[in-house]
Amino acid sequence: MPQDANQVKDHFSLFREPEYKELIANKRANFENRHAPEKVQEVVEWAKTEEYKELNFKREALVVNPAKACQPLGAVFAAVGFEGTIPFVHGSQGCVAYYRSHFSRHFKEPTSCVSSSMTEDAAVFGGLNNMIDGLANTYSMYKPKMIAVSTTCMAEVIGDDLNAFIKTAREKGSIPAEYPVPFAHTPAFVGSHITGYDNAMKGVLEYFWDGRAGTIDKVARVPNGKINFIGGFDGYTVGNMREVKRIFDTMKVEYTILGDNSDVWDTPTDGEFRMYDGGTTLEDAENAVHAKATISMQEFCTEKTLPMIAAHGHETVAFNHPVGVEATDRFIMEVARLAGVTIPDELAKERGRLVDAIADSNAHIHGKKFAIYGDPDLCYGLAQFIMELGGEPVVVLSTNGGKGWAKKMQELFDSSPFGAGCKAYPGKDLWHMRSLLFTEKPDFLIGNTYGKYLERDTGVPLIRLGFPIFDRHHKHRYPVWGYQGAMNVLVTILDRIFDHMDATTDGIATTDYSFDIIR
Amino acid sequence: MAEYSTQEDHEMSVSTPTNIAEVKERNRALIQEVLSVYPEKTAKRRAKHLNVHEEGKSDCGVKSNIKSIPGVMTIRGCAYAGSKGVVWGPIKDMIHISHGPVGCGQYSWASRRNYYVGTTGIDTFGTMQFTSDFQEKDIVFGGDKKLAKIIDEIEELFPLNKGISVQSECPIGLIGDDIEAVSKAKSKEHGGKTIVPVRCEGFRGVSQSLGHHIANDAIRDWVFDKSEGKAPNFEPGPYDVAIIGDYNIGGDAWSSRILLEEMGLRVVAQWSGDGTIAELEATPKAKLNVLHCYRSMNYISRHMEEKYGIPWVEYNFFGPSKIEESLRKIASYFDEKIQAGAEAVIAKYKPLMQAVIDKYKPRLAGKKVMLYVGGLRPRHVIGAYEDLGMEVVGTGYEFGHNDDYQRTAQHYVKDGTLIYDDVTGYEFEKFVETVKPDLVGSGIKEKYVFQKMGVPFRQMHSWDYSGPYHGYDGFAIFARDMDMAINSPVWKLPAAPWKQDPDYVAIAAE
Amino acid sequence: MSLRQIAFYGKGGIGKSTTSQNTLAALADLGQRILIVGCDPKADSTRLMLHAKAQDTILSLAAEAGSVEDLELEDVMKIGYKDIRCVESGGPEPGVGCAGRGVITSINFLEENGAYDDIDYVSYDVLGDVVCGGFAMPIRENKAQEIYIVMSGEMMAMYAANNISKGILKYANSGGVRLGGLVCNERQTDKELELAESLAKKLGTQLIHFVPRDNIVQHAELRRMTVIEYAPESNQAEEYRQLAQKIHNNAGKGIIPTPITMDELEDLLMEHGIMKSIDESQVGLTAAQLA
Repeated sequence: MPQDANQVKDHFSLFREPEYKELIANKRANFENRHAPEKVQEVVEWAKTEEYKELNFKREALVVNPAKACQPLGAVFAAVGFEGTIPFVHGSQGCVAYYRSHFSRHFKEPTSCVSSSMTEDAAVFGGLNNMIDGLANTYSMYKPKMIAVSTTCMAEVIGDDLNAFIKTAREKGSIPAEYPVPFAHTPAFVGSHITGYDNAMKGVLEYFWDGRAGTIDKVARVPNGKINFIGGFDGYTVGNMREVKRIFDTMKVEYTILGDNSDVWDTPTDGEFRMYDGGTTLEDAENAVHAKATISMQEFCTEKTLPMIAAHGHETVAFNHPVGVEATDRFIMEVARLAGVTIPDELAKERGRLVDAIADSNAHIHGKKFAIYGDPDLCYGLAQFIMELGGEPVVVLSTNGGKGWAKKMQELFDSSPFGAGCKAYPGKDLWHMRSLLFTEKPDFLIGNTYGKYLERDTGVPLIRLGFPIFDRHHKHRYPVWGYQGAMNVLVTILDRIFDHMDATTDGIATTDYSFDIIR
Repeated sequence: MAEYSTQEDHEMSVSTPTNIAEVKERNRALIQEVLSVYPEKTAKRRAKHLNVHEEGKSDCGVKSNIKSIPGVMTIRGCAYAGSKGVVWGPIKDMIHISHGPVGCGQYSWASRRNYYVGTTGIDTFGTMQFTSDFQEKDIVFGGDKKLAKIIDEIEELFPLNKGISVQSECPIGLIGDDIEAVSKAKSKEHGGKTIVPVRCEGFRGVSQSLGHHIANDAIRDWVFDKSEGKAPNFEPGPYDVAIIGDYNIGGDAWSSRILLEEMGLRVVAQWSGDGTIAELEATPKAKLNVLHCYRSMNYISRHMEEKYGIPWVEYNFFGPSKIEESLRKIASYFDEKIQAGAEAVIAKYKPLMQAVIDKYKPRLAGKKVMLYVGGLRPRHVIGAYEDLGMEVVGTGYEFGHNDDYQRTAQHYVKDGTLIYDDVTGYEFEKFVETVKPDLVGSGIKEKYVFQKMGVPFRQMHSWDYSGPYHGYDGFAIFARDMDMAINSPVWKLPAAPWKQDPDYVAIAAE
Repeated sequence: MSLRQIAFYGKGGIGKSTTSQNTLAALADLGQRILIVGCDPKADSTRLMLHAKAQDTILSLAAEAGSVEDLELEDVMKIGYKDIRCVESGGPEPGVGCAGRGVITSINFLEENGAYDDIDYVSYDVLGDVVCGGFAMPIRENKAQEIYIVMSGEMMAMYAANNISKGILKYANSGGVRLGGLVCNERQTDKELELAESLAKKLGTQLIHFVPRDNIVQHAELRRMTVIEYAPESNQAEEYRQLAQKIHNNAGKGIIPTPITMDELEDLLMEHGIMKSIDESQVGLTAAQLA
């Protein structure tokens, strides 16, 4: 009997016991009708070849293991960054269960979000009644300060009109006449979660700045000296937002964070469940129209939002998820320029510490080849940092990156000898990446949790950076922006490199001469 | 949101009910309290889903399997989740296409922990996400041509797949794609390959439940009917059974299968955890279907009974009491040899079970549990808690039907248990706040809500990344995990000491 | 003058595209700068302007290019008679996909790419009934302000007109859309003018113009031209000019329609002797049974 009350075996060890090994083998041999092991091995090897890669890249319709999610996920992300706001997704309810689970698995936090629960009859007759009842229920039960509406693909296919529906709901008394309900159409069959973030952020700001969907007059802009900051869809939002606020405070910049979800996804365990916590106040969101300039940390997350803001008279500056010394330099200097402040020595010192750390450790990274995948801006920021560390990106892949992104990546590669052999792959998925790992043979892979399957299949060690990270805890609490953030990224990369060194040199009496105590 | 008091507090609290009449009264008042926050129409509808169980009643007195109310934060999922996520997804040697936009397949990618053995990406495809990644043009012009191409590309790049299923997402049904025609044509083209179109669009039905039913029907129509007359690759025997409705979460089906085999039965198929298309096809040759998750697979069990004359029996492999009962019940369908086998198995594991109970019961006895789960667990796990001396004081189904509530009332819950069907986030939070259980068992969306409140929690869908919980081996893990959750030192920490200390509070106030 | 957005709706085969193009050509003659957005998968809303069989549609070009984001405005916009800008939304083959979603996609694309800059009129030419949310896109807020329903004295055309009014009513309270009026395209059915006028009255609107039937329309069509261009001196061209002038003068005069029930519609037809009141006991009986 394999189980033992004193030393309870769970799935990690239980199924390695002989009884279970035999059970699994018998099942396979007698009932599963599997292919012969030789046949399986043949295909395993074939899938590593150039020939397979070519076939793989010829795919036109099938997508396998994509590194992107759908629009409403991004809309929910943006919405919870506003004070007391509950995202309300109009369409099928199953989608909302998925978004909530997805975020909870990454942040290890609750994510509150409601659905209008449209079913077959609503598919035929439209979801107006679902909107009317849904807004009334959400408003009375959860007492939010704002309800931010977005859509699932179901509502988009049948063509429900959010603006008209919300107005009707107001008229029917579901919500008070003045109550803020910004909205954005977020069809899942267009773009990805970053598009949804963009649409929702634009929806919220337009709502407050342009007369609350026709319910009041447009806000007349009276420019002030403030800077708005938009982070974009970011798995490190908890750590990053706090770090950015610290940097701005250090620089004495007057700022408004638009969509600050650092508190709602980092609530304490102290006996109280906080459905809402922190976030950009609605007053600040409205007053943000008066700001002098708006910064987007992620250009491809704000492709529609930034031009809209520029049209309101702001100077706008977009970054591509800046990570590292030079990228942070540019960010800090732009902030200083826009805000008209000088950069405090404190930051110069932080910068110096980062450079110091890089000087200490870069020898372990120099010349190493990296494959990177993720959201378009993140890929850019990480590739830039790797090059700064003397590493060589060889493959940079973004399922939700387009032609414009690929061009921008190429310019980055061309800017440094360390980018010489690198290629950007827009619109490709992780099954493409699998082929590339076999044929391009990088030393390390950088990506999110799903990269662990690639690591298993190809042996290329995974450095976990991205969204989602389900199988490591609390990474989202640490910033990757600013000089401190870059330090965290550097340490993450180094830890994996050192772990890999140890794991590949620990052969007793074979390789352990390199099993150094000092590295 | 009010504070959740510590254990010490509520033991001293005067409002804590001490007898069953008080419990019932408290629970009834609690239901009225949560209903009072709703708009009138909603309160009326929700009232039908909440009740206090009365002993002797044949069901729990709640309505179920009714549309969720918009805007209330239902915990339910959709038909696609029921079909792809539950029934079809675990069939490991088939490729399951999430047909439609990218999200559904992405969020359900490998998150259900249906364990399997196989070379992923080569002859096994369980933890992969195949999607048609619909774009605007696919919606406008229809997706059938794309689907046809996808099937061809799968055949080229994944030549060892044993079949394909097409799991429809919402848009498919709305734009009128004919996935059945594509599936038929492509099956013919690819040498009669099993290609199964499943109409499990997320807007169908009211929860995951219809997805289970649709998925069951698809097996009937596209696997059974197609494979009729095909000989299984084994010689049928007198003790052949199929495990139906075990998804092998954390290895559950394996720790169940081992008991059936030990009692002398031969398990010819697992549905659908670690399952294969060959096992599905062979099941009509079984002598008995043993059904764990009644909710998700009773349909196909009934069909096999009608069409092939295979009886089916429900069983419960959570906790030694129910396992013992179940082993005997299953054995009763067979001869003395099997019946003796069942007794031998029960005897064999008795010392282990006693050791587990001896170790954990003293730490868990008297602890109160509230559950809110899907499938069979809102009732099936009650016995396991009771084996450890614990008490389930509230339970409810995400997507149960009336027959689930009947089984719950007749065999499981105690007088005065709080029953909540399709509970809303608000209701669940209020119930826990007032009932003050020692443990909540529910899903990932609920986990952190209750932990923030200082209430120990275990995920009862994914076993909180542990498991298996089924069978005798699983019970040891179950007991360990419940102890780990409830008796973790962390639950002493939520309250900051200076907020508890009157001196500090006084100083702060000065 | 601010941008005027109008839309022509009507039952299929009623002559909606012909009427709208002739009217818009006449408006162009009045010096108005016009954009036509064809919202019918048949893509026949601009052919008379372009002297073409059918122009490449936004959706077919997007499907070719990969996605609508890959398109530029120049790719989809053609310039026709009197500099009228022409775009066709296009859509799937009959029986597949979702044409309604196609309308949403196209209009979003046009708005985002500045197609509405520097023009006086946008005219949407929309297929048949308001069958689903997508075909209602042109009547959402900040889209068409006035809808002109093209109809005739045939029962089904009147039925469709009433249905379209229901669609308008749905959006009229929350948005700003109004019914501009009915345009009766003569089919030479019994008491056509009388019927059209009383339907207009029931709907709370006006019969803005009664366009007589004239073979010259067919002659012009064969040459893929509007009558305005083909035979500007003809009586028919004058009719269209009158209609154009009336629409031009109708800015802001639209109403919220008061659609009627099917029974009321049947009563209306009976009133005018089009439908005979029948004995309820005879319903469902065949000719043989009745004999």
